[in-house]
Amino acid sequence: MATSALRTQVSVKYAESLEKLLAADKEKRLNPGLLNYSQALTLASEYLRPYDIKDRAAMMRPRTAFNINDVRTAFAMVHFSHQLPALTEIFLEDMRKSFHLIEYEINAYMTRYEETKNLELFRMLVSRLHDWFKAWHPPTECASPDSPSQTHTDVIPPSLSSFFSGTYTLSFQTRLFAALPPSFARGFKALASWCLAPEDYPPMVSASGAPIKIDAVWTEFEKLGLIERYESVISSVAYEHIERRIEETCPNNWAAPMLPEIREWMTQKVVPWMLKIFTHGVTSRHDTQSLLTGIGARFDFHVNKVLCDLRIKEIFNIIVDYPDSLGALQDLKETLQRVDQRGDLVKFLRKENNKRLLHPGADTQTILQQYVSTIKCLRIVDPPGVLLYKVANPIRQYLRERPDTIRCIVGSLVGDDENGDSLVDDDEPIQPLQQPESEDYGDLEWNPEPIDAGPEFKTNKPSDVISTLVSIYDSKDLFVKELQVLLAQRLLAIDDNDTARVDKERRNIEILKIRFGDAALQVCAVMLKDMTDSKRTDDHIQGQTPSVVHPTVISHHFWPTLDQSDIVMPGQFQQLQEDYAKEFSVFKPDKKLKWLPHLGTVHLELELQDRTLDVDVPPLEAAFIELFSRQDTWALEELIKAVGNVDRSSAVKALSTWTNMGVIKEQNENTFVLLEQAEDGAEMWEMAPIQAAPSLPPVQTMQQVEAEQMRVHWKFIEGMLTNLGSLSVDRIQTMLRFSPNYDKTAEQLGYFLEAARREGLLVVQNGMWRLNK
Amino acid sequence: MKVKVKHWHAVASWRWDTGKEEEEDEEADICGICRAEFEACCPLCKTPGDDCPLIYGECTHVFHMHCMLKWLERPSSKQQCPMDRREWKVAGSGT
Repeated sequence: MATSALRTQVSVKYAESLEKLLAADKEKRLNPGLLNYSQALTLASEYLRPYDIKDRAAMMRPRTAFNINDVRTAFAMVHFSHQLPALTEIFLEDMRKSFHLIEYEINAYMTRYEETKNLELFRMLVSRLHDWFKAWHPPTECASPDSPSQTHTDVIPPSLSSFFSGTYTLSFQTRLFAALPPSFARGFKALASWCLAPEDYPPMVSASGAPIKIDAVWTEFEKLGLIERYESVISSVAYEHIERRIEETCPNNWAAPMLPEIREWMTQKVVPWMLKIFTHGVTSRHDTQSLLTGIGARFDFHVNKVLCDLRIKEIFNIIVDYPDSLGALQDLKETLQRVDQRGDLVKFLRKENNKRLLHPGADTQTILQQYVSTIKCLRIVDPPGVLLYKVANPIRQYLRERPDTIRCIVGSLVGDDENGDSLVDDDEPIQPLQQPESEDYGDLEWNPEPIDAGPEFKTNKPSDVISTLVSIYDSKDLFVKELQVLLAQRLLAIDDNDTARVDKERRNIEILKIRFGDAALQVCAVMLKDMTDSKRTDDHIQGQTPSVVHPTVISHHFWPTLDQSDIVMPGQFQQLQEDYAKEFSVFKPDKKLKWLPHLGTVHLELELQDRTLDVDVPPLEAAFIELFSRQDTWALEELIKAVGNVDRSSAVKALSTWTNMGVIKEQNENTFVLLEQAEDGAEMWEMAPIQAAPSLPPVQTMQQVEAEQMRVHWKFIEGMLTNLGSLSVDRIQTMLRFSPNYDKTAEQLGYFLEAARREGLLVVQNGMWRLNK
Repeated sequence: MKVKVKHWHAVASWRWDTGKEEEEDEEADICGICRAEFEACCPLCKTPGDDCPLIYGECTHVFHMHCMLKWLERPSSKQQCPMDRREWKVAGSGT
């Protein structure tokens, strides 16, 4: 039983205490019992000794074999003689020696479990461990295992019993934890998952055939101290369960916010489970509350985090789907407030934009559409607009580089039949274009910028979509110019002074005036006035002298540059023009008309030998067909000369229109003949008026205008450099400023010189520019 | 074949009839007072055309009417044409 060392120690101590007692106790009260101390100790330690519970015979023996009263007295004496620590030590030592029994069982179970992964085995192992624990527990009741009803707490006084119990538990658990193999954790996790959601696993039935009660399992866990030790495992079980749930229900499900649903599911399924585990044995309500809030908060956080991650991954598609994905945006907004993932969102969205949006394969219109959706979505998610600011910058940079951005934006500002739904919400109240305001130091509601805003962030940013779009470019001028060009094209395309369409354009201009200001759009107002004036003039002249000519008379200074052309309309067209011009001068004595013959459309009726055609064609085609009415066969050069020098490609195009209609045919190389009688294959062209491919009136785009201007200036630059040798950019700039029509900055001049250098026209040396010899 | 014109939607730009045949590529004539094209309007007006007409002098100099009237209001004008300092008389006004 006892080692020799202990024996020696005991005997020494015995002798000491005997001395003390004998010295202290004059009355010799305890005299008869002195020799009994060692007996008592032996008895008590024997009573306490851990035994092998597998040995059924042995199980019966120890506790019942002892006489209860003897044991009681023994314990009392031990306590009285302050031998309790020694007893404890003996007991613990015994336990250590017998622990191999437990270890053996653990290994047996675990090997079987690892082979079969049968959770039932694991659960049985836990049960067994619990049984061992109970069996070796120093009895607070001295009842034997098969009569648990008797409880005698006076075998050992209560304070001692708790001391004993505490020491025992600690020691047992320490040894137990040391003995458990690593796979125990995995098994534990599996068992915990089973407890959480038994429906996910095949039903487990104990060896005796009765269904397992989950509560019992948890009690065992707690007694063995496994809960505290494996708390992180339990939490991870819960986390995985949450993640799985969210994976199943939430992806691509954007119509309604999913967060309330998930929270409800949590309350129904996860919280009761949590209650069972963590509040087991905690009786007071207050403690329960505090425990729950701590753990519940953690799980809630996890829910938020998982949902947030998911939505972040889907954010690009959510934006594409806007406004159908409002629910998802709500989710994202709420979760972002709890979880600190804003940086992730920005990073991810920027990457996605780069990959999927900002590349040459994407249409400018698409990019703009997506940009607008992004604005709206991110405004919902983050009202101050910090996230939007960070995400939008790359998009804006990219859009600035695309040449047709302005046209798209302007087109959609006016937006009607071109693109079905314009970028503008007509419901939004139309406000003047907001300029960035300087700091308002008198504002009582001022708050500092949000903490993760970039250095250039300003809180009062323009709040409507159009202002944001326009602010991509630093000045409104580009927009205004593009607007003029667009308006000019549309107005010139209006046939027959159709007042309804003119009115529509006028309405658009009015709206845009509110945005851009009166002065900027004065030019557009003049254009519109021209339209109504021409109508009035035309009506008057038609009243005087009916004519088939209905011109639109424009004030050329206010319209964008239109291509010049030298066409002279032949035959009857010429006559018509002159007649009309005369009438015009009569009506307005101090004005005269200058025709722009390449613009407009003519509605013709061609009477051929066997058929009649009704066609709408540009004037050049009309001129050609007029020539054909005089003479059947023409060569291309003759045609070109007859209309007074038009360029070859337009002539060819015009002729091809007629060829397609089966009116003329190309006989030989560059010779065309009129087909009085339809040839086979040309019958498809019926009486319906045929539109020649309508091309927009050749209004020069901004780029063409710029290129033209630079050509003129190049002449000056060349002259300067020839005369003066080499010049610096500044000097060139100064001198160019004297020439008419020069409004470029030094920077733009720099670019132009660079371009010329690339083409080999100039060389630069130390900042001085020279002509390239 | 006969070509019949049913309807011709043409485009033309109006010019002031200053009696001078202008050549194609030259810069349009400008008003001597405000240095703006005749077909544009004077600095005070918003729309060109009949609302901002020209005024012709006997010395054959042409200006925007508004420009000229403002000039004449100034005492320093002395009722002279600003280009040649002759006494200003509107062309065709008789005496």
